[in-house]
Amino acid sequence: MPHFFSNKRLIILLVSIIILVALIGFSMKKRESLTLPEQFLKDSAGLTQTIFYKPANTIAGFFENLAEMKQLYKENQMLKARLDEYAKLYVQYEEVKKTNETLKAQLDKEEDLTDFKVREATVIGRSPDQWNQFIYINKGEKDGIKPKMAVISPQGFIGKVTNVSLFQSTVQLISDNDRTNRFSAIVQGERNIFGTIEGYDPKRQALLFKKIPVDAKIKKGQKVITSGLGDVFPPNLLIGEVIDIEPDEVGLTQTAYLKPSADLYDLDHVMVLEREMPAVDESLKEKEEE
Amino acid sequence: MKKILLPFLIYLAFISESSLMQALLPQENNMEWQFIPRFSMVMILFIAMYLNSTYGLVYGLGFGLLTDLLYTDIIGVYLFSMAATAYITSVFSRYLFGNLIVTLLLSIVGVSILEFFVYGLNSLIGISNQMIDMFLYKRLLPTLILNGFFAILIYYPYVKQLNLLKDTLKEN
Repeated sequence: MPHFFSNKRLIILLVSIIILVALIGFSMKKRESLTLPEQFLKDSAGLTQTIFYKPANTIAGFFENLAEMKQLYKENQMLKARLDEYAKLYVQYEEVKKTNETLKAQLDKEEDLTDFKVREATVIGRSPDQWNQFIYINKGEKDGIKPKMAVISPQGFIGKVTNVSLFQSTVQLISDNDRTNRFSAIVQGERNIFGTIEGYDPKRQALLFKKIPVDAKIKKGQKVITSGLGDVFPPNLLIGEVIDIEPDEVGLTQTAYLKPSADLYDLDHVMVLEREMPAVDESLKEKEEE
Repeated sequence: MKKILLPFLIYLAFISESSLMQALLPQENNMEWQFIPRFSMVMILFIAMYLNSTYGLVYGLGFGLLTDLLYTDIIGVYLFSMAATAYITSVFSRYLFGNLIVTLLLSIVGVSILEFFVYGLNSLIGISNQMIDMFLYKRLLPTLILNGFFAILIYYPYVKQLNLLKDTLKEN
């Protein structure tokens, strides 16, 4: 093909590569809010997605039901066994709740760091290329959703809201490998062990839980929850379970592999959480500044 | 076919990618294979092959930008990759006779070019950390099969409409 790269075309190619690099550079810095045309585009796409979502989901639901029917009997047996356990736990829970309430009343403490407001949302779409792990939900600015809110499914923590337009918003799942997608978490145990969740290993299908102190002893099967530090996410949201631990490359910290507690691929209905009380009292902050 | 209907059709394919990912493929994607629908790209490749290369390039740019804005965080990756893929495919198609097998082959080549571009750029930026062998075996292969089926499915009705459109364009 002698005419594949004539001079003119070569120049066009070079210029377009320069533009490409410039665009990537521009969009890689984290933006707090979207520009108006972007919001408009996202809203109109969201509308079409909502129309598409219903029939697609009905068809998918039908096949899912067929697959589930096979396991129904086994599942029923297991659930029956769990039911007794539940009754026992419920009695304990009621007791603990009552004690907690009386103690709170004694302390005159009404608000708690763990309080949050819950908004239900439906997932209307998902980023089709698997490099970006985004889902789109049908609630937006109009419903009071703001960037950085935590999103959970009934099984556990799944991600955070990254950007919001009027009628829909984008949720970045915890399995997204973006370098800004990090948050602090703790391993539940006798002593809390802190670390950060940084990305996803597609080969092992596990979340990477890094920066754990080298002397911390973690066992397989321990639960990992959000820490609630950092002012953004509520604490005590279940993230996953430790399946493996290994020292990192330099040997100063450890890396644990987590199996996410929520199924990050099969999401229908999610809940968006808003923290009711900021971690640092605003009035205190102002006093300090004075 | 009216000229205005074409972008609308591709837009439908574009939106269905996201719905398909959300509703129909969750179980499949949880397992070993990654089926990535690239339906809008396949339809643009057909335009590049059967209409003309300029149309393919413009549609590639347009829907590339749309993919960047709606489905990813970074602007530019798909804008560049989809336009370049459409152009390269149109160059190939000049030397080959258009029938079902050749069209299927070119669509598969086009989708793999797109996948390679996006994989390369994303690895450069640090969004993807998949190894090359896993990419080839677990992602590229299933993706090509899925999009190949889509290309066969739309071939007869879509090419007929594109040829009609080409005739009306020639008349003007």
